[in-house]
This record gives sequence, C-alpha cells and structure tokens, in this order.
Amino acid sequence: MASVTAEPIDTTIEVPGKRTPLVTGAHDYGTVTDAVCRLAECKAPKAWYLALGVSACLMGMLFGLIGYLIITGVGVWGNRSPVFWGWPIVNFVFWVGIGHAGTLISAILFLFRQDWRTGINRAAEAMTIFAVVCAGVFPGIHIGRVWLAYWLFPIPNQMAMWPNFRSPLLWDVFAVSTYATVSLLFWYMGMIPDLATLRDRATGKIQQFAYGLFSLGWNGSSRHWHRYERAYLLLAALAAPLVLSVHTIVSFDFAVSQLPGWHTTIFPPYFVAGAVFSGFAMVLTLMIPARKICGIEDLLTDRHLENMTKVIIATGTMVGYAYAMEFFIAWYGGNRYETFAFINRAFGPYAWAYWIMVSCNVISPQLFWIKKIRTTPWMIFVVCVFVNIGMWFERFVITVTSLSRDFLPSSWGYFKPTIVDVLMLIGSFGLFMTLFLLFCKFLPMVAMAEVKSVMASPHDHGDDQPDIPDSHGQYQSENSDTE
Amino acid sequence: MATTIEHPEKTIAEPQLLGFLAEFDNPHALIDASKKVRDAGYQKWDTHTPFPLHGIDNAMGIKWTILPWIVACCGLMGGTIAIGMQWYMNAYDYPFLISGKPLFSIPACIPIVFELSVLLAAFGAFFGMLGLNQLPKLYNPLFKSEAFRRATNDRFFISMDAKDAKFSEIDTGEFLKSLNPTNVEEFWSDVESPKLPRNLKLALSIVGVLMIMPPALVAYKRSTTTNTPRVHIVPDMDFQPSLKAQNTTDVFSDGREIRPNIKGTIPRGQFKDDNIPFYYGLKYLPEDQDVVTIAVQDEKKADAKPAEDKKAAAEKAPATKPAAADPAAAAAAAAKKLDELPWVTEFPMPVTAKMMARGKERYRIYCSACHGLGGEGDGLVTLRAMDLQQGTWVKPASYHTDNVRKLPVGRLYHTITNGVRKMPAYGPQIPPEDRWSIVLYLKALQKSHQIDANTISEEEKRKLRDTK
Repeated sequence: MASVTAEPIDTTIEVPGKRTPLVTGAHDYGTVTDAVCRLAECKAPKAWYLALGVSACLMGMLFGLIGYLIITGVGVWGNRSPVFWGWPIVNFVFWVGIGHAGTLISAILFLFRQDWRTGINRAAEAMTIFAVVCAGVFPGIHIGRVWLAYWLFPIPNQMAMWPNFRSPLLWDVFAVSTYATVSLLFWYMGMIPDLATLRDRATGKIQQFAYGLFSLGWNGSSRHWHRYERAYLLLAALAAPLVLSVHTIVSFDFAVSQLPGWHTTIFPPYFVAGAVFSGFAMVLTLMIPARKICGIEDLLTDRHLENMTKVIIATGTMVGYAYAMEFFIAWYGGNRYETFAFINRAFGPYAWAYWIMVSCNVISPQLFWIKKIRTTPWMIFVVCVFVNIGMWFERFVITVTSLSRDFLPSSWGYFKPTIVDVLMLIGSFGLFMTLFLLFCKFLPMVAMAEVKSVMASPHDHGDDQPDIPDSHGQYQSENSDTE
Repeated sequence: MATTIEHPEKTIAEPQLLGFLAEFDNPHALIDASKKVRDAGYQKWDTHTPFPLHGIDNAMGIKWTILPWIVACCGLMGGTIAIGMQWYMNAYDYPFLISGKPLFSIPACIPIVFELSVLLAAFGAFFGMLGLNQLPKLYNPLFKSEAFRRATNDRFFISMDAKDAKFSEIDTGEFLKSLNPTNVEEFWSDVESPKLPRNLKLALSIVGVLMIMPPALVAYKRSTTTNTPRVHIVPDMDFQPSLKAQNTTDVFSDGREIRPNIKGTIPRGQFKDDNIPFYYGLKYLPEDQDVVTIAVQDEKKADAKPAEDKKAAAEKAPATKPAAADPAAAAAAAAKKLDELPWVTEFPMPVTAKMMARGKERYRIYCSACHGLGGEGDGLVTLRAMDLQQGTWVKPASYHTDNVRKLPVGRLYHTITNGVRKMPAYGPQIPPEDRWSIVLYLKALQKSHQIDANTISEEEKRKLRDTK
C-alpha cells in the first residue's frame, strides 16, 4: 500500500537533498479520499451552519437591494456628477481581481509543474467562479435597465444596430464572460473524476443521482485519462494568457479614457499584479479557516500556505513599485493634470483612502519576510485580511479620486456612498461566502485525483525505480517525459 | 442457447458475458500487468485508475490523441469569427464612425479576437475530450460491480472486453489470473433493458412542456394580428403622466394644463426688458410700454438694415446712381426715427469719479483711435485715412458741434452700442456699464471745450497751465 511517514513533520523546513512531502500524516490513497469526502458525506460541523446562516442572510439582503435598485433606479447609489463610476465599478474590479488567483494557481502553476498547487487549486478555482459571479452582478445592475442587458451582445434586434467593438466596455463583456466560461469549464472538468469518486461512495438516492449525473459516467479509464490530461493541459495553457488578458482589458476601461490618473500604460500589468495579489490573499483568507473546519490540514499543509505568502510578497512588492512608478511618471511625464492627480491622491480629500491603501498593500505584505509570520496561520490570516481591504481601497482610490478632480475645477465634487452602496458590498460578500460554503459541503474541496498523483508514495509515477532522490533532490521518473 | 427457437424473446433477456475485471492494489502491479496484456496482443481492453497514472500510456500502448488539433482548429475558427464579425458589424452593416477613426483596424479588434479564440478553443478542449471519450455515458455495465467502485478511490483495474478477437472465456480468465491480481471477476449484460424511472419521465415531460411554452407564445403573438397594444412587461417610458399644453386637467383649479408665468419670475431672454434705461438708453414709460418695446425692435431692425443696404450699394454704385441715393434716404429716415424716441437724459445710475476714470480709460482704448484724444475727430486712423484720401472713409464727427452736444446721453449710449454710419456696433465688445462710463467721459470732454474761463478758479487755471 502507498503510505507516507506516520509522525507529523514540519513541512516548512527545507531539508537539502530531500523533497518535502505535499501530504503529511499517515495517508494512503484511501484515507485521502476519506478525508476529502467526509464533509460531503457526514453532517457538517456547527460552525458551517452558523457561517451559512449569516452569509445566506447577507445574500438575501443583496438580492433585496438589487430588487429595490431595479424598481427605483440606480439613483439609490451615490453615483452622481462628477463621480458616475462609484462603488459598483470598484466592487466589480475588486471581485474580478479576486478571481485571478484561482486560475493562476490552477493554470500557471500547473504549466510550471508546481505540484504543491494540487492541495489548493480546487478551492481556489471555486473561489474564482464565485468571485466572477459577484463581479458580474455589479455591471449587470449598473446598466440601469437590466432587462435590456442583451443590448450588450451582438444580437440582431429590431433596431438593426450593432454594438461598438472599439469600446473597452464591450471588450469587458467578452473578456469577463469568456473568463467565467473557461474558468467554469476548467473547474468542472477538473472535478469530474472527483465527482465520480463521490458517486461511487454515495449512499443516498439523491446523492447518487446528482453525482452520477454530473460525473458524466467517468470510469477512470486510462484511455480517458490520457485525453483528459491533454485537455487539461490545453485548458491550462489557454487559461493562463486569458487570466492576464481579463484584467488587462478591465484596466483598458480606465486606461483608454483621457482622464488624468487613468490614462497610463502601466495600468494593464499593474492591474494584473494587483489582481493576483488580492486573489492570493483571498484564497488564504478562505483556506485557513476552511482547512481547520474541514480537517484537511494534512492535504493543505503549512508549506502550501507559506508558498502562497511568498507569492503575496512578490506581487505586493510589484504593486508597491507600481504606486511609486505612477508618481514618478506623473512628475517625469511633465503633464500638469497628471501631476496634480497624483499629488491630490496622496494629499487631497481622499488622502485617508490612499494611505489605507498604501499601508495595507505595500507595508503589510512585507511582514511575510519574517518566517514566524509566514508559517503561523492566524498571522497569515490577519495580514491577508488587510491585503483584501487594501486592494478594495486601491480600486476605490483609482476610480474616485480621478473622477472627482479632473481637468476643470468647475466639475469637481466629493463622492459619498449611500447606505445602499455599503450594504451591497457587504451583501456581495454574503453571496460569495454562501456559494463557497455550499461548495465546501457538497463538492470535493481538494482535487483528490491530483493529490494522489503527487503523493510521495512508492511507485507513484509508475516507474520501476524505488523512490530515491537523486543528487538534485528530485525523484527519478523515467516515464515522466512520456506522460 | 439451443432452446431459443421456441422463445425468441427470452434469448434477449439472457445475460451475456461482457468481459473480465482484474483488480490490483497498487499502480506498480497494474503497470506490470498492463505490459503483459499489451504484449499478449489484446486490443479491446482498458485499465481503470483513480488518478492519471504516468507511465501507463506506454505500458498500454496508447497512441497520441488528436485533441490538440481539434483545439487548434476551434481556436482559429474563433479568431476568424471574431474578426469577420467585427468587420461586418462595425465597418460594413452598421458603420460606426467615431472621431474619424478608421471603420476597421486590426489593433482595435485584438481583444475580441483573443477572447473568442480562447473561448472556442476551450470549448474544443472540453467538448472534444468528452466526445473522444464518448462521455457522458451514464450507463456502464462495469458500474454494477461492487469492487469496481474503488476504481475511483484506491484500486486499480484491468477490464477485458469480450468483443476482442483474442477473447475466450477460459483462456482470458486464466491469463488474467496469471498476472497476480488481488481478484478477478466477470461482468455480465443486464437481464432487463434499463428503463427510465417513472418519476424522471414525468419530470422531464413537465420540463419539456414548460420549455416549449414561451417560444410558442412568442410565435403565436408574432403571427397573429391584434387591435390591442402588445403586452408591456416593462413599459419603459411608453406611458408618461406628464401634462401637455392645450389640454384640460383636474390637477389645477383653473383646469389648464399649460401654466401661466409665476409672479416675480423673468422669462428666459427678457431680463434686459426689465431695465430698459440701462440696457437701451430709453426712458421707461409704463403707459407706453408697448411703444418702447416696438422702438427697441425697430432699433434692432434699423441697425441691421443699413449694413445690408451699404453692401448692396457698394456693389451697385457704379451702375446706377439712384440706387446710391436710396440708402442715404433710408439712413436719414432711420436717423429721424431715432430722434423721436424717448432717450434718457440722465444717467440711469449714480455718477462717480471711479466711473469717470473708467470711462477715460475705455474711451482711450476703444474710441480715441478714430475720434482723437480730445474727441475732435482727429484720431490716428482718421488722419491716416485722410492722408491716403480713401473715398470710402467718412470722417467721424467732432463731439464739439452743437448737433452732437445736444444729443441726450441715451442717444450717445445707443450710438456706441449700435454704431452709426461707418462706426461699427461696440455693444458686443463693451459691457453696458463701460458704455455708460464712456458716455460720461464724452460729456466731460464736451464740457471741457465749452467752459467759460471766468468760471474756473485761479488754482484750477494754474493747474491747467502746468499740465502739458
């Protein structure tokens, strides 16, 4: 039987010449399945019911407010001259950004053969889907007359008109819907074998039917696996540039306009770095409590968390660099409006938001240089919450400061959100959490098949060699090039 | 099998051997066994593992899949559709001209081309994989095996299909046992053909009927004529409660929908009419309000006409002499009409030293070029024109003639505003306050030329002598 070390080990210590196992504890294939399926098969812990109750209430509030907004009109928001892009757009960009970590973990880390992704990719992808759902809500209702949302799509209608394909807002429609679709396919395809596992273990009629339907009759055939892996690789290769393109296109909404503070070429890479940054923070914010509640610490080890904090340091520093570079270019570019926009950001009426953003996004992730903080889950959690707050404020600062102080002092104003704005943001978290909690309960939260394929067990690669690391600390696998 | 002639329906019901299932408990054993099965020459067989086993492809002799080509074709198709769609929609069928940008240019197309290529390629990867794997296939006889349930958990299986040319019930079973599996079992076809559960049938038919209803209703509505308006689910702004002119209403006590002016408000464009002395230099006589209004209108017309007439006259002048006389007569008539108007004789605001200083400054800026610093009609422009002896130049009148001195201030103001003879209208350039200031300074100039030296004090005289 495949099994690994029985005694608990500290996965955050690097042992030269030996690869740290990705699964700790006395696990073999069967116990991994048991651990992951337990939540779907047993009664959920009290904490889950409590969390679901709270988030479902918040979600209900969001739907109520959407109804109110549709009946009354978008005037219930604080968007008005000169700030017509207020919280709804801030929330949209924020949520789209959150989604990026999921696809990044599953696609880019997959292409880079980062095996540690297997423990977190499923939940991260789920998070992507739910974040995109939350993001989609805002532009959807922002158009005011939601029943005419189909005008966004190139559908022949009675007015014999077509949308303008040179508008970044239309690119957004395509980018976000493609992103949502591809992420959903990627997530669902990765889940098919695990759904089959749940189907084969299900005892209730409803579970058997539902899991049976969605696992599409998967039977683990190696011929199927062969095509499946190829398809997964291709989807990952497609999703990787897609994830970069989506936030690039979202940033075009801003960068293609002429407004000082928006009209900059740094926006696409800067938005993407920020998105990955906030996305990883959100993954950690969710996974630290979730792995505790679901009891999957063996599959999602401290080492996984530590690796993610390293990504946060990298992207957080990129974001800090972008802030500095915006200032530098504003000065070096010699454009007075641009210079003013940035001085105004830091010292104008929204200085409070700017400095919240800087302290949360630039300073707080630097704490991860300290190993103690990097390896203590509750400390990671706290820092990640700050990062999420900071990234929301980043979008707020970009959107509101530029609009409220543009070229003409006669068109200046100060944006104030309404209570509906605030409650909708909170409600969107309710929607997000409800979906995530339902996912934790009813779907395989960890990609079982993938975890099993990277378990440090004898013959895991199916080769004839016993598992002895070579001089580079790598396990030999003669067939890995023929996979 | 021989008894099937009498009961043919029973043969169908008889279960058939579909194949064997060999179970292994670790992937290493499975790969070893697979190599042997491959080498034994079997074609229709498969292995089942809970995770993708690397190395099994070689061991089983699985060929490369064509999936990448499917994906590449789908991606190219997406890109082509995207570029064709954008050209057709924005450049051909409904040309969008925005800020003079080209109707069709590749850079602006790239985001959509990229997104649609990725979207279709992803569909190709996902549905291509399902298609090549012949999924979804919810029914599979293997699923009836209790042991096979662990194929998605922690066990490894080889399945041998009875359709294989090399398959034989006894030999194949023996062969499988020689591979050291933990267990070998047979799997059989069903006795009864699988049937959909009653509840599912019912549910599916209800869903089907519900799905047909909306398109059926739409089709019905579109194909029938009706006198009544369509159903307005969302009325947008089709029906508005706003009041319209010339209608009656119960909302207001006077029953009119059109509302009279509210007391104390000034209708748009009538602000000047409330301060006629200041803006027009005319006396405001309540009993003659209409006369004044007409006068103001006449003045505007009179102002507009000479300009046209002069233009016409300049063209006709060499051809017909009487034509030249006509505008002169018209101008005289207009001047006579102006003389009759009730011009103000007092300034319509308090006169101050500040106003005088302002008037002097403005006079020197706007008027002195032609009229001269002293108002004698000897400005630099006039002198130059006289020097060149240009026939079209009319020398400005001196202020110090009796005629001009007698003009009321309102008339002077009017002249500055609307011009006279060669002098253009300065109303558009000089605000009303400044025009009045200039009139004031002009009056001072006139007075300075007519004063009796005896009325001036000695001190003033000394001052004047010292000034150059």
